[in-house]
Amino acid sequence: MENSSENKNPVYKDQNYGQYREMLFTYDEKGNFQNSVGYHGEPDRVVLQQAWDLFAERIEEARKKVLAGKASPIMYYMEKILADPLSLSMMAGVSLISVKLHCKPFFFKHLGDKTLAKYAGAFNITVEQLKKFE
Amino acid sequence: MIELNFEHRQAGHCESGVTSNLLHYHKLDISEPIAFGIGAGLFFSYLPFLKMQHAPVTSFRVWPGMVFDRATKELGVQTKIHRFKKPEDSMKKLDEVLELGLPVGLQVGTFHLTFFPPEYRMHYNMHNMVVYGKKDNNYLISDTLMEHKVEITYDDLMRVRFAKGTFAPNGRMYYPTAVPTEVDLRPAIIKGIRKTANNMVGVPFPLIGTKGIRYLSRRLRKWPEKLGEEKASYYLGQVLRMEEEIGTAGAGFRFIYGAFLDEAGIILKQDWIREIAVEMGEAANHWRKFSYLGSRNCKKRAKPEESYDMLADMLMECADMEEKIFRKLAKIR
Repeated sequence: MENSSENKNPVYKDQNYGQYREMLFTYDEKGNFQNSVGYHGEPDRVVLQQAWDLFAERIEEARKKVLAGKASPIMYYMEKILADPLSLSMMAGVSLISVKLHCKPFFFKHLGDKTLAKYAGAFNITVEQLKKFE
Repeated sequence: MIELNFEHRQAGHCESGVTSNLLHYHKLDISEPIAFGIGAGLFFSYLPFLKMQHAPVTSFRVWPGMVFDRATKELGVQTKIHRFKKPEDSMKKLDEVLELGLPVGLQVGTFHLTFFPPEYRMHYNMHNMVVYGKKDNNYLISDTLMEHKVEITYDDLMRVRFAKGTFAPNGRMYYPTAVPTEVDLRPAIIKGIRKTANNMVGVPFPLIGTKGIRYLSRRLRKWPEKLGEEKASYYLGQVLRMEEEIGTAGAGFRFIYGAFLDEAGIILKQDWIREIAVEMGEAANHWRKFSYLGSRNCKKRAKPEESYDMLADMLMECADMEEKIFRKLAKIR
């Protein structure tokens, strides 16, 4: 590529594969190790897509649960930032058992603003957004 | 405004690439595979009790930070490493070091990294990159995974440096302060190889090294009946993701390690190491084949004979190959 593009952030249109090239090492039949810049292989794309599919599925499931009143918005936002209870407890600074309880609507209703602010900080949203789930 | 004359070179693995580039700035030229090998970066561990992205962790590398620590120590390079509690302190320290004219390596989380390809933005806190300057409110970044130099704003940089979760970076920054220009690589390489060989075959613990590969293989065989088809395929996908995702240079660092052995054989003037490099290349190709066939299982397009049993057998073969390689390498003098 030309030199003028140096020091500019790449622009990614969407979450599609193949917008980015990386350095890859290979070993050929002649017994030489080589490195070249190129796109990742097929296996990587398949397993990445698999992970994103699972995340999308979990987010959708959590959304339905929240709308049905079976889970609290915390669960939805937790899935949305691709976290699990353990990592969310580290991100928000709330103990693991509390996170698990707060995923239930009953405990969520009784939460104070201080704890809600902790969660909102981890989710990168406002407390109002967290309270009013559409 | 500060802009150091830092040469950006793309690399296969973030941390060894950063190490190599930082030392290159200080006029000590070592290639990326050599940095990786001296830092003893090759590893294998399967940790079923630790979950990441809803599946057990399989790691093909050592703990974050170890490659840089070991490589610089073996080469006699003086370094400084800082960790912080307050984000503001860490940014102030970063500015101070940049003022001194030293490029700084940072450990960051990838989830909020703005210049990262979106399909790779998952929670992964072991990424490394170099800051080499500051322009207004933007920091100039040389990320070895990207083709070109990039920029990031103050707030974004602070956020990624204090990403939370497993292996939280806590604003870890590291930089060489005094670098010798002439270094005898030979003792460092020998030590690095011995360390790796010990990690792979010498640790009496079932989840680490070639024993770990065998353990994973035995587990893999049982996954379909124990977890059901869907979950088994996701768990297998996690293994492949750790093996093939960006920053491994392919096949879980096996290619890059083979390249290291090849170079090491020339530097040490020992031909038998170059022969082992050939074996390593074959093992790496076998890993590559494993990931190729495994991904067909993830896509549910596998032929009947490409079942989990066959994949488990392939893993066993990989373990056998690597055990042979590292038993030989352990005898290096």
